[in-house]
Amino acid sequence: MKKIIIILLLAVIGYFLADIFFEIPFGEDSMVVSKEYLDKSPNDLHVANTVTSIVVNFRGFDTLGEVTVLFLASTAIGSILFRRRKVHTKLNPQRNAPHASRIVQISAKILFPLIVLLGAYVFIHGHLTPGGGFQGGVIIATGYLLLLVTYRKFSVSHSSLTWIEAIAGVTFAGIGVLGLILGKDFLENFLPVGTINNLFSGGIIGIIYVAVGFKVASELTGILDTMLSIKVDSEENEQN
Amino acid sequence: MVVANPILYVALPLLVAFLLPLFGKIHKELIRVVPGLLFMFLIFNTVVLFSEVTSTGKPIITQIAGWAPPIGINLVFSAFSGFIAGIISIMGLLVWVYSYKFKKVEFDNSLKYFVLIMLVTAGSIGVVLTGDIFNLFVFLEIVALSSYPLVAFYRGRDGAEASFKYLIVGAFASIAILLGIVLIYSQLGTLNMAEISLRIGEMPEKIKITAFILLFLGFGIEAEMFPLNGWAPDAYSQAPGPVGAVFASMTAKAGIYTIIRLVFTLFDIDAGYQLLLGMGIITLVVSEGIALRQEKLKRMLAFSSLGQMGLLMIAFGINTKAAVVAGMFILFNHAVIKSLLFFSGSYLVYNSENKNIKDLFGFGKKLPLTAFLFGLGAFAIVGLPPLSGFWAKLSLLMASADSNLIALIALILIVSVVEIVYYFRVVNGLYFKKYTGEFEPHKPSWNASLVMLILAAVIVTVGLYPDLIYNYFVNAADALMDKANYIQNVLPSNFVGLN
Repeated sequence: MKKIIIILLLAVIGYFLADIFFEIPFGEDSMVVSKEYLDKSPNDLHVANTVTSIVVNFRGFDTLGEVTVLFLASTAIGSILFRRRKVHTKLNPQRNAPHASRIVQISAKILFPLIVLLGAYVFIHGHLTPGGGFQGGVIIATGYLLLLVTYRKFSVSHSSLTWIEAIAGVTFAGIGVLGLILGKDFLENFLPVGTINNLFSGGIIGIIYVAVGFKVASELTGILDTMLSIKVDSEENEQN
Repeated sequence: MVVANPILYVALPLLVAFLLPLFGKIHKELIRVVPGLLFMFLIFNTVVLFSEVTSTGKPIITQIAGWAPPIGINLVFSAFSGFIAGIISIMGLLVWVYSYKFKKVEFDNSLKYFVLIMLVTAGSIGVVLTGDIFNLFVFLEIVALSSYPLVAFYRGRDGAEASFKYLIVGAFASIAILLGIVLIYSQLGTLNMAEISLRIGEMPEKIKITAFILLFLGFGIEAEMFPLNGWAPDAYSQAPGPVGAVFASMTAKAGIYTIIRLVFTLFDIDAGYQLLLGMGIITLVVSEGIALRQEKLKRMLAFSSLGQMGLLMIAFGINTKAAVVAGMFILFNHAVIKSLLFFSGSYLVYNSENKNIKDLFGFGKKLPLTAFLFGLGAFAIVGLPPLSGFWAKLSLLMASADSNLIALIALILIVSVVEIVYYFRVVNGLYFKKYTGEFEPHKPSWNASLVMLILAAVIVTVGLYPDLIYNYFVNAADALMDKANYIQNVLPSNFVGLN
């Protein structure tokens, strides 16, 4: 009975919310700031991909926050589950289980560099073509996921991940502070903007997106590695 | 280059948090020392900026990435937001001193602890300073995501449960806030809070009210408003001792700030103030009622903390200048006194298994300093003269009398009696019950004692000389209530439609 009342209540709330949201006109021009973005992104910043210029420049502060949220998520997973990571030893039965089949192993070896290359391409060209640091980073992390599920004994060095993560994060925040030191605003562009559609254009936007790419890739890979070693642990507990 | 800048409140903690693992590789002690230096710099930053605001009488507006608002994101350091940012950064330093030796043994653990403490501070200050509603959402996420692991820091079953509960409720809050922001953006095409505040009248009534309710709901969860605060007592009581103080003095402050900005600056509709007042009364009565029945010390403190949040909502909901000044006073008191109670309380129940109140009977003789400071905090929070809590409650009562809210005065006084009952029960146990001998008292380390003494000194000094700090509350209230001034300072003077 209680459940039915809850469902009914949720249905009523859902109906009214949907009603309100259907009232938002679709595609109509009520944009105020976005017009400025569309205008200023190619003309002032010389960035071909407007989405990138919004994410990294106009609302770059939000992106710094989002990068921090990701950093926190990986710290949180590490801090709550870190003790179990020590199970990561050769004695672990799961680690001694046979690898995936020969075909999968060989294909993973061929695919991995290609995936990393694609990821790097996506974040290096973030200011020219669709995509960027977050997308490129996730692509690279999927490459590592492929290796982690194919080769049981494959593990990522957390120490080097920490270094990459730290340097990438410091690059992002440091570029912002460098702007302040040079007498401009935080995260304001201080490099020449170049010619639109060239690889070296858009000033600091490209550099920041490369840093974001490295950071996202290393953090997601770290999370995947941590998560996979927990699974091993819980199975071992069941056996005991 | 400007030495002090509001942006440094956010930029530097992030920079240090990213770098801290590398510092740890150079020397292990650096992961403890560097955060402290950072907090000291934040306080220096506050002092410089605050004196500038006081001397010019105008808020400092910082634009980011070189775009003037409303195109870019901006930070607003006013007498109101700057004051709260100052409280948060000072509390950050005290929490750092208190927990300097915390987790001395395990390197990995303490590294993460200090990273999380820095980021929760940066997030809370970011929430308070930002002038952009989506940016506010991002900072709330930072606060929430650094709080979840802090709650589950001891990795026990109960901690994980409390953290998970908080996670689910927090995710719901995020969705509600995001939907509210979507509604506003769809109608006004801007995310700048000053411009939203200016053009809120253009929104159709139906959408406006829905957006208000969604935001009120989401911010209410962060501000620990009843009945959305089910996560809070678990989170407070499961987290390590200093983290309870972090929640009371930082995240709860950020939460209540969002509600106040929503009601006062963004929407400014009468129903909003009444809703805030009503929810405040319910939160106060229910929380203090539950606190009376608590057997565990930290849970009792947590419910008492929720009651204080209710008192804050009442003060801001009355919406007269006297009441807002009283509200600022309560906000300050809550940060100082509740932190003292959490700091001292967690040493009183240090070795106790269940953290029950009856476990600390007779500790008045075993831990004289800690017990005395806990008692002082308890007397201050219920509002006994001559401690600082007395002036806050008195000014709230006088403000309600000015607004002819006689029933409210009666209610606050009755609730104060309830507060006295459950706090005195603890103090009575400390001094007049026999020590059971079941639990060894744990002596606080010298740095923890120092922090508690500083907080106690603040409580007594403000209690004896409230005029020392009273002007700051008045300035803060002025800055908050003058909406037109806020809009004028943030938006460029030639902005269309500025009246």
